[in-house]
Amino acid sequence: MQVSEHFKEIFRTENGCVYQRDNKGCFAVDFGGYTTDYKIPCFFALKRLVDNIDLDAMALNPRKSSDIEIISPCGSERCYVLTLRELIEFRELLAGARVMLQLNSILHERLYRIAV
Amino acid sequence: MRDLVRQKTSLSEEIEKILNDQIKQEAKASATYLSMASWCDQHGFGNSTEFFYKQSGEERDHMLKIFKYVNDVGGKAISPEVTDVPNNFNSLRAIFEQALEQEIANTQSISRIVEQCYKAKDYTTVTFLQWFLKEQVEEEFIARRALELFDVIGEDGVGLYMIDKRIPDIKYQAE
Repeated sequence: MQVSEHFKEIFRTENGCVYQRDNKGCFAVDFGGYTTDYKIPCFFALKRLVDNIDLDAMALNPRKSSDIEIISPCGSERCYVLTLRELIEFRELLAGARVMLQLNSILHERLYRIAV
Repeated sequence: MRDLVRQKTSLSEEIEKILNDQIKQEAKASATYLSMASWCDQHGFGNSTEFFYKQSGEERDHMLKIFKYVNDVGGKAISPEVTDVPNNFNSLRAIFEQALEQEIANTQSISRIVEQCYKAKDYTTVTFLQWFLKEQVEEEFIARRALELFDVIGEDGVGLYMIDKRIPDIKYQAE
């Protein structure tokens, strides 16, 4: 996708990317060929949803129905239908983005928000 | 890059989670006190009934205070699910013993949150929680005093009637 000046790349993996859209005050998640905007609480709610999926149980369950997981995040019309492998990749992407956001907060605290 | 996360909320994920846990604990305390009020009413202890109705309301107020704080600082307060509320008690004494245990558990829980806030350098939340620590002194005092009545008055004869009669007189006077 076209990255404009308003899309700041937070974290990228082989399978996707998370951007910060400063002009809209939200995050854009590029995964599975689609890019979806999430407000900040919805982004973290999505991360929690993905983190709460028991991947071990999914892997060990022989039923066909456990081969995929459907994720319907709040604040979005997007619905993810993911296999186990895709879930792992998605989890990695969101976790990496979270770490980079924390790093950004630390940098802002230590470098930019210094009381004069 | 703007710090959107910090602009949205001053609460870290960890502190938000433990505050939501405390909201759940206060809600459960409120429900338990309501249950105690019901038992007391069933068994004819009118003053104890009113006492526990009042305690139930206070715990709900505590819960709302934390709930609103979490939302005020940009976090997400979660309306709690309350399960496993005890409905059967063995005696009036057992109820007041459980009330004291509940307040002690609450005090310890809030102290743990303060500890975590210090570790996370969230001094704003530490300041917010000071009111709760002070409030717990009063809550524990009242629960302890009520229980002491059972030793002072005794439960034989009209003892339980006298204990119930004294419950509204228990007040905490801070220095």
